[in-house]
Amino acid sequence: MKRGGERMRRAIQYGWWALLGLYGLLAMPHESDAQPRNGLQPFENLSVDSAQHRVSYEQRLYRNPMTGLLKLAALLEKQGINEFVPLVQGIPIASYRLDNTLTTTRLSRQERRAWANAHPFSGRAYKFDIRLQPEFIAQFGYRERTVESKTNLLVQSQLYVSRGLVLNWGVLVPLINHLDNQALNVRLAPTFLNQFLALGGSDFLSLSAGLFYNDQYGINGQYRHADLNGNWSYGLEASLTGFYYYPENGFYHRAMKTVMVLADVAYRFPRQDVTLKASGGQFLFNDQGVRFDLIRQLGNVEVGFYATKTGNGGTGGFSFAIPIPPGRIVQTPHVRVRSSEEFRWEYAYSRGYNIGTRYRLGYQLDALLRQYHHSYLQNQYR
Amino acid sequence: MGDVYTIPFVNLSLIRPFIMRSLLGMMLLGIGLPARLYGQVNVSGKAGLLYIPSAELTEDGTFSIGYTYNPPDYAFRFNKKNSESICFVNLVLLPRLEVNLNLLMPNGPIGFSGRGIGDRQVDLKYVVLTEGKIRPSVAVILSAPFGIDNSLITNALVATRHVVLSKSVTAVITAGMGSPYSIYRASVKNDRNEDIFSGYSLRDKRKLPYHYLSGPFGGVKLTVVQTGGLMVEWDSQHLNVGAYARLFKRWTIQAGLLNGDQLTVGTSYAVPLLRTPKRTGTKS
Repeated sequence: MKRGGERMRRAIQYGWWALLGLYGLLAMPHESDAQPRNGLQPFENLSVDSAQHRVSYEQRLYRNPMTGLLKLAALLEKQGINEFVPLVQGIPIASYRLDNTLTTTRLSRQERRAWANAHPFSGRAYKFDIRLQPEFIAQFGYRERTVESKTNLLVQSQLYVSRGLVLNWGVLVPLINHLDNQALNVRLAPTFLNQFLALGGSDFLSLSAGLFYNDQYGINGQYRHADLNGNWSYGLEASLTGFYYYPENGFYHRAMKTVMVLADVAYRFPRQDVTLKASGGQFLFNDQGVRFDLIRQLGNVEVGFYATKTGNGGTGGFSFAIPIPPGRIVQTPHVRVRSSEEFRWEYAYSRGYNIGTRYRLGYQLDALLRQYHHSYLQNQYR
Repeated sequence: MGDVYTIPFVNLSLIRPFIMRSLLGMMLLGIGLPARLYGQVNVSGKAGLLYIPSAELTEDGTFSIGYTYNPPDYAFRFNKKNSESICFVNLVLLPRLEVNLNLLMPNGPIGFSGRGIGDRQVDLKYVVLTEGKIRPSVAVILSAPFGIDNSLITNALVATRHVVLSKSVTAVITAGMGSPYSIYRASVKNDRNEDIFSGYSLRDKRKLPYHYLSGPFGGVKLTVVQTGGLMVEWDSQHLNVGAYARLFKRWTIQAGLLNGDQLTVGTSYAVPLLRTPKRTGTKS
């Protein structure tokens, strides 16, 4: 009887995923096109400067920044606004002017300071935003069970503490676990503080501390030099972490002594939005080596292929990042429930050797900045 | 009185030949013979016929996903034992470069040692020449050598030409050559090898009991107003015939008879990823 119940539950879970997958496939390139009753509702921390024909705003709904930018442009067209300053965690990225073409202008340190003085930070400018984020961790190919998966649903939110500083938190609802012996207990989702900083026109920092994804907790720092009009960029990432997990009662963790240090240099082919990236250093598990990525931004989707060679071995695979429909589910001026703007997944050909592995954070600085690169946005503005 | 209702139809029937003629003229002149948008795909998800690939250029950013059933007597890896399921995705990564991932699995019971996720294969297709006024498109297809038990290895040079036969019928003629030789990790066991850059060996697939695409191949696909078509092909070993239909623009279903003997069926769905967000009136 118990087995029958388990089978039924599993069937329902698989059915749910199959339906979600099918729906995702049918709706994949779209990012919720319908206009809400109040068109400005997707935008937060919106501030219109009519004198300078400029608007600064933040939007978390669309993975593709161009979707939000063009929607806002349509809404503010009558007010003569043609300059757009998108914010990430309250920090301006750059200035984008829409004319016959798109012009991207870096914001200097002085301009950033002036903007910050004119726009004091207020956490109230943001909604209480609830995001549904699926998580799928899988291992393929063992003969006893060819697909071993751990599937969770994360109900997440972000608390805006101060300019650039956000507390990411949430609740993890486990759905399936065939991967390891962790119980299906509802637990805290990855919860960590992240400080995003723009140092000047092209230098950005992301500092995180807390409980990350993939059972690692600790501190992580990322620096990136990325001229949003240029083709070259480089970055450095360093972290000190340890293993943690939630048994059925309580919290288990090991000492924080895993060091990860990675440096990378990337070149962008602007016409096709292709980025070639070479990175190297020490991955998790004291594994030193190199990795090459080829990443293409295709509209709302990003697809990548990679090869990596480290002390633990060599492997390759692919990755993708897609928005999850339907996007907005419920939205009022102060509260919103939505599906995640991004589901990111990476597949490695080999399993079990810990080759070039790492953990995930809320966002990787290089992936975030790539989305705001001039060519990516211009290529969609034709 | 009744004529009022037929006017739109009469008008339409006057316009249609004009549009068709213009389109036909453009095609014959070779003006931007467009990359095919969504099309019918072969056993492993590449543009092609039933088994054989073609050199057709698919539009940049097209992603497709699909499934093929391969009958037991023509099964590549589990020949005469099990029929096979082939799942695939295909992405036009760059305007002339396609990446194809396919997974071949046996259907029905198999021995414990034969179990696994399936045979994972990565193929690259590069369109060297695009179709011109006279010249055909030419493509090179190569399977990545990382695979271990790859049964659909495609190392081939192929050429394709579209010939417009009538307003609604186009013949897509394909001819190519598949290499019997391939480099892959033939004698490697996945759970005992941590480095996909090791263990390569050169193999001749003709030594296998049954093999895919080695030697000359070719075929003709007759497409009818891009909604369906008929296919005849020589897959380097057998003569196969089949048909396909395209539903709701993006969904293709197809079926074929292999060697006049057993049935294969497949389906695929294509999504254009390079669709730009809605434009506004901002651009003057």
